[in-house]
Amino acid sequence: MMPGEHRNLIKGLVFISPWIVGFLAFNLYPLIASIWFSLCDYSVLSQPVFLGVQNYVDLWHDPVFWKALRNTVVFALVAIPLSSFLSIGLAVLLNQPIAGQGIYRTIFFLPSLVPAISLAILWQWMLNGPMGLVNNLVRPFLNIINAVCGSHLQAPDWLNDPNFALGGLILTGLWGTGQAVVIYLAGLQEIPLELYEAAELDGTSAWQRFLHVTLPMLSPVIFFNVLMSIIGALQTFAVPYILTGGGDGPGRSLLFLATYIYQNAFDYWNMGYASALALCLFVLIIALSLVSVRYGEKKVHYSGR
Amino acid sequence: MKPTRSSVPWFTRVALILLGVLFLLPFFWMVSTSLKPLNETMKLPPQWLPSSPQWNNYPDAMRAMGPFWLYARNSLLLAFLNVIGTVFSSALVAYGFSRLDWRGRDACFFVLLATMMIPFPVVMVPIYGLFKAVGWIGTFQPLWVPAFLAGAFNVFLLRQFFLSIPRDLSEAARIDGCSEFRIFWQIILPLAKPALLTVALFQFMATWNDFLGPLIFLARENQYTLALGLQALQGTISGTPWHHLMAASTLVLLPVLVLFFLTQRTFIRGIATTGLK
Amino acid sequence: MAKVLIENLYKIYPAEKGRPEKVAVDNANVEIQDREFMVLVGPSGCGKTTTLRMVAGLEEISRGAIYIDGKKINEIPPKDRDIAMVFQNYALYPHMSVYRNMAFGLELRGVPKDEIRRRVDSAARTLGLLEPDNLLERKPKALSGGQRQRVALGRAIVRNPKAFLFDEPLSNLDAKMRVETRTEISRLHRQLDSTMIYVTHDQTEAMTMADRIVVMRHGKIQQIAAPLDLYHQPANLFVAGFIGSPPMNFFNGTLTASRQGTLEFVEKVPAGQTPFRCPLSAETSRRLSSRQDREVILGLRPEHLHPNSLTSGSTLEASVEVVEPMGAETFVYLKTGGHTCICRTTQVEFMDLEGKKLNLGPDLSRAVFFDPQTEAAIPA
Repeated sequence: MMPGEHRNLIKGLVFISPWIVGFLAFNLYPLIASIWFSLCDYSVLSQPVFLGVQNYVDLWHDPVFWKALRNTVVFALVAIPLSSFLSIGLAVLLNQPIAGQGIYRTIFFLPSLVPAISLAILWQWMLNGPMGLVNNLVRPFLNIINAVCGSHLQAPDWLNDPNFALGGLILTGLWGTGQAVVIYLAGLQEIPLELYEAAELDGTSAWQRFLHVTLPMLSPVIFFNVLMSIIGALQTFAVPYILTGGGDGPGRSLLFLATYIYQNAFDYWNMGYASALALCLFVLIIALSLVSVRYGEKKVHYSGR
Repeated sequence: MKPTRSSVPWFTRVALILLGVLFLLPFFWMVSTSLKPLNETMKLPPQWLPSSPQWNNYPDAMRAMGPFWLYARNSLLLAFLNVIGTVFSSALVAYGFSRLDWRGRDACFFVLLATMMIPFPVVMVPIYGLFKAVGWIGTFQPLWVPAFLAGAFNVFLLRQFFLSIPRDLSEAARIDGCSEFRIFWQIILPLAKPALLTVALFQFMATWNDFLGPLIFLARENQYTLALGLQALQGTISGTPWHHLMAASTLVLLPVLVLFFLTQRTFIRGIATTGLK
Repeated sequence: MAKVLIENLYKIYPAEKGRPEKVAVDNANVEIQDREFMVLVGPSGCGKTTTLRMVAGLEEISRGAIYIDGKKINEIPPKDRDIAMVFQNYALYPHMSVYRNMAFGLELRGVPKDEIRRRVDSAARTLGLLEPDNLLERKPKALSGGQRQRVALGRAIVRNPKAFLFDEPLSNLDAKMRVETRTEISRLHRQLDSTMIYVTHDQTEAMTMADRIVVMRHGKIQQIAAPLDLYHQPANLFVAGFIGSPPMNFFNGTLTASRQGTLEFVEKVPAGQTPFRCPLSAETSRRLSSRQDREVILGLRPEHLHPNSLTSGSTLEASVEVVEPMGAETFVYLKTGGHTCICRTTQVEFMDLEGKKLNLGPDLSRAVFFDPQTEAAIPA
């Protein structure tokens, strides 16, 4: 290497040295250690004892693990599309020239800023069976449907009903889509007006324009958001943890993978097993990300800006 | 581009109003509950507004939480430390990845990007072990020292921004006689103020909001952050005094709201750009 | 003020995936005299900017050496080379005032405040930054393009460097501003009496400003000479075609023996066309005698093709395609049997000649002949 290049290399490394330290301590070492721990029986109080793949075998036979996995995946599969529809829809609505656009945008964005603790406690109250606001709003509609169809639909006791707890959590998540709305709105505003004008001249309807101009032009943003959402949704921990007071909800319906990992690590001090679980989560995230990227590459249209 | 048609279909307006109300409702309900006496909170059908606002719910809730101001101080301290650490270390590292040419730079950056995919639960246990080995469990250190080691996301954000500053500015400074650090400090940083502010804001929000971190690393009650203190309140009392809980929740939420309203433009622009890039 | 010596200079970008090795500067040798205004000119990608940046220290030297005032500067960082640079995009610090922009380099060198004040004021006065408006406290974004470029000049001047380097400083200015700033820079050169190395792709700038010009192409130096020497005695086909606007006319043909015992240039034409013939003078025939019956390229500048000329029996007939009246002169675009060419004349009665035939008299005493294989000029 030439002396000038050498000088630059030193300079570069010096500038990124904080990251190098952080990388070694908080990314590389933990990753390797995690793999090692997952092959051991380990509680922090004593030395790890090598177990081979026993943890993974246990995991495979552990019904709680499968429940947690199922909850996590179902949550992601339902929440992400719902949330995307909502946020894109809101962004499209906001993109109209209406008075008070800034105010509306703030209204939709604010909930995404609420700290997890406040959010969880608030929704614990909102989703309360007898007294919660959600049911109080839903009950009149149910009564109408009951009167018309002769059914006996009841407003669910969200957080105590194993069939509805996850739904309640999804509702909570929908309230917080504001951040995505802002991103989509910015993306919408980047779409050149001429594309819409040309489409109008071609005789398309508003819905067709949405399908053939808006969505393709927005696709890189959608792709990015969905990818981020997947990675985030699979790691859900704080809100369900607080909602259930540190537990896993009725019939374990709010037990997420991350929650189960936490329980094994810091409630049962079974860190080897927790590491094995965590690595499964990691593999799940990578797998879903790769699938999305592969799918995205085919479908996402980049305008080469 | 926004369509410029002056007449917007009525259902758009109606939809927006409806959705706006729906989104605001939880906030409204939270504050309304916080100002009611306990018996009114449980009335059915629900009473929208308190008969007379019980402002004393707030100090009562604070008292019920325990050392409220201590918790607040802890939260603020951590937020402050994290903001300082993040802004400077991320800027430094982002500079190295954007304004300098060196062999292996792009490979290293790729590694940095890859680390953004590692979920926290995976590294949680070994990091806990690491901190335990140095005796930091039960102290504040695990919650702010990592901030000085440059998080990948902020580096990514700032690097994007730094790349947009023309290269010949650095070259002119080099010819003028600036050392590399001086260029960083006197030329690039002043030009990056909006991006730095965005990073600072995001980091403040993230630290204020952090729940898992304090949960794992803090031990003694007098170290609790507001988030932890509030959760303790939720856990310990029986008979769920919703008015107190709502009051406390509002208090924890308040600084975030205030900060947002003060910095709205920067905030929104920051979020928008992260998505677009 | 200093001599700058560029010796066997190379810039090689090593091969990487998707791209073979690229030699951006190929064995450049230039000796720039003290106080000389040297221009590096050539089409984009020719290596002129890379060469300049190696002199500045902004680019690593792959092979060879650069000496300023006899001292080898390969390893010396830019700030210690005692040079100043004016960038194409001005590179002014946006968050600093004009004053601070100009003072910054001096501040960094620990020059005392009153000395800085003196130098900046003096430079500002020279560059018209104090009258009619005092621009010193403004920020760059409040200035026009021309003003910004003058601030960039000022920043270089106050440093009192051994050499000034210019990287296409006029490219971002509009045409009128370009001419104004061009004369400004030339005036500065006379006033400061300093060594200046100037890079441009515009041959007009090169011709009007330079003491000497280095013409580059594909990393190689084609010719180093004073502007008029370059114009009248180009070393090869590329230089001949690059310098001068409208460009030199080139005709492919052969030299054959004429009936008078001298050589005659016969145009190469496709089948069915009639070639024109131009007898060479006795002296020229003697000079080129070794090339009898061989192919050559005849180079003739547009001003050396005289219309309707009846001189010395060498006329060629061409048909007029386009006439461009420029006011003081007229450009006539013509087609011969095998070539198109341009004629430049101060005679102005050509308006209705489009489509008609015209007789041209070539002034072969000013012609340059080139070897078609090597593209080099056949020496006088």
